[in-house]
Amino acid sequence: MVTNFLIYGLVNSAILMLSAIGFSLTFGLSGVANFAHGAMYLTAGFIAWMLINYLGLSPLVAMLLTVVLMGILGALIYRIILMPVRGIVLSEVISTFALGVALIEFFRWKGFTSFDFSLPPFVKGSIEIFGVTIDYQRLIIIGIALIIALFLWYFTHYTNTGLALRGMAQDEYTALSIGIESDWAAMLSLGLGAALASVAAVAILPLGIISINLGYEIFLIALAVSVLGGLESTLGLFVGSLILGYAMVIASTYLGPQWGQVVYLGAIVIVLAIKPSGLFGKYKELEERV
Amino acid sequence: MLNVNNLMVFYENALAVNDLSFEIKQGEIIGLFGSNSAGKTTILNTLSGLTHHLKVREQRKGGTRITISGSINYLDADIMSLKPRDRVELGIILCRERHPVFRDNTVEENLKLGGYLRKAQEIKESLQFVYELFPPLIKLRKNKAGMLSGGEKEMVAIGMSLVAKPKLLLMDEPLLGLSPHMQAEVVRATLEIRKHGVTVMMSEQYARPIMPIIDRGYIIENGTLVMTGTGTELMDNPEVKSAYFGT
Ligand SMILES: Nc1ncnc2c1ncn2[C@@H]1O[C@H](COP(=O)(O)OP(=O)(O)O)[C@@H](O)[C@H]1O
Ligand SMILES: [Mg+2]
Repeated sequence: MVTNFLIYGLVNSAILMLSAIGFSLTFGLSGVANFAHGAMYLTAGFIAWMLINYLGLSPLVAMLLTVVLMGILGALIYRIILMPVRGIVLSEVISTFALGVALIEFFRWKGFTSFDFSLPPFVKGSIEIFGVTIDYQRLIIIGIALIIALFLWYFTHYTNTGLALRGMAQDEYTALSIGIESDWAAMLSLGLGAALASVAAVAILPLGIISINLGYEIFLIALAVSVLGGLESTLGLFVGSLILGYAMVIASTYLGPQWGQVVYLGAIVIVLAIKPSGLFGKYKELEERV
Repeated sequence: MLNVNNLMVFYENALAVNDLSFEIKQGEIIGLFGSNSAGKTTILNTLSGLTHHLKVREQRKGGTRITISGSINYLDADIMSLKPRDRVELGIILCRERHPVFRDNTVEENLKLGGYLRKAQEIKESLQFVYELFPPLIKLRKNKAGMLSGGEKEMVAIGMSLVAKPKLLLMDEPLLGLSPHMQAEVVRATLEIRKHGVTVMMSEQYARPIMPIIDRGYIIENGTLVMTGTGTELMDNPEVKSAYFGT
């Protein structure tokens, strides 16, 4: 019972972290709150599905290709719809929100609503650990969450590009004055975020069917995790995922499955009311403009 | 090296730089003096392309209307509408006011980022030069830049600009808020930097600490050039003396 709780709580936390990481990264690096994050996740799911079922690509190839295509789409979204309103936060939110709804409802309109849409797991089958039966896909999700976290840490601390992106996030005008370009940085941040949303999609979607409403749900989860942990805090992303991940498992075990959702929606409201900066968030110092 | 002619900068309808013309010759150290909000930062930002960047940004989103007119010629090329990055590639590097560093990064990461557009080998050589110029930074290499004192931050900020390989280094109030000892260090470093073939323009509110090292100075009031001269000429002028040298 306890091991069951520990393991499934961990799996759930890894799912939350993967679902949120693209949103959190984009926000941390470029300040854009991508309200189309959930729609990116959903779109990635359907693209992977189409690549497998229409083009007959092998699942692994299809999934890798999906991640790349979505990365490009994310960059294009910045270039086409965000660049003109860059710096006007409300407009950024409105345009990404509108785009997200448009994408999600497009799939609904095109009839992507049946139970036929699902992605294959990377590896079929399951294994018993400490008396708990768990399928390989869920273990793989934990592995992918760890690898992604390590990769991003390495990327932002040891590569030129990653350091430049972080520099741009910390102080735009100083970054500009040593030759880093702000539109390039934002484009890359949106592209990376979309690629990460796709990694989450191809890893998590095999656990169930691709349902249209995930487009909204995943965004709300990303929002809940980020708000709880503190927007733009990496440590917060981990801790937020763990708290919500276990809280959801507790709620759905003792109160019933529908309570899982109440937990993360409730978390958004409570955190904003009590500590709007989140557990690990820091209020940005007021920096004077150039 | 640099020729500025009839430069005007407006923020909306407020004039920040008024019909400004001046030149900088290769190898000079030029002082740019003026009281608070005289327009020093605007001038240096306009030379480095930041004002142009802000203008484009504001234009896109329909914010503050910024107008820049006149001409800026650098090494015989018109750079008026170049992006900051292109100007960095040409060797115009701005070290911004108030000792800007990337707070969450270590000193060495900051310095390396200065060479963002350069090759790893070149960055290594420049790092070497910066550590020779500012030995205290060696011990601070692994420290977070955000935790440093003002003087240490200024060394990092100047170091970062140097790793970017300037031909023309623009320093915006590098002495502001520094102890007399640190001010002297920065002045010493500036001479050393010039020795390595870098032309320098530095802005200050108080002229005294850098007066001994400048070849010429420009005094700005409300965006307008009111006086030019060599260090001694400016020092000898009674009006200038009371306004910019303190007593
Ligand atoms: N981004 C901006 N928007 C509007 N006005 C500005 C902006 N930056 C500077 N100014 C104005 O331009 C004038 C010159 O400022 P600045 O160049 O910062 O002077 P200094 O560096 O000499 O203190 C000031 O009146 C200031 O208020
Ligand atoms: Mg200034």
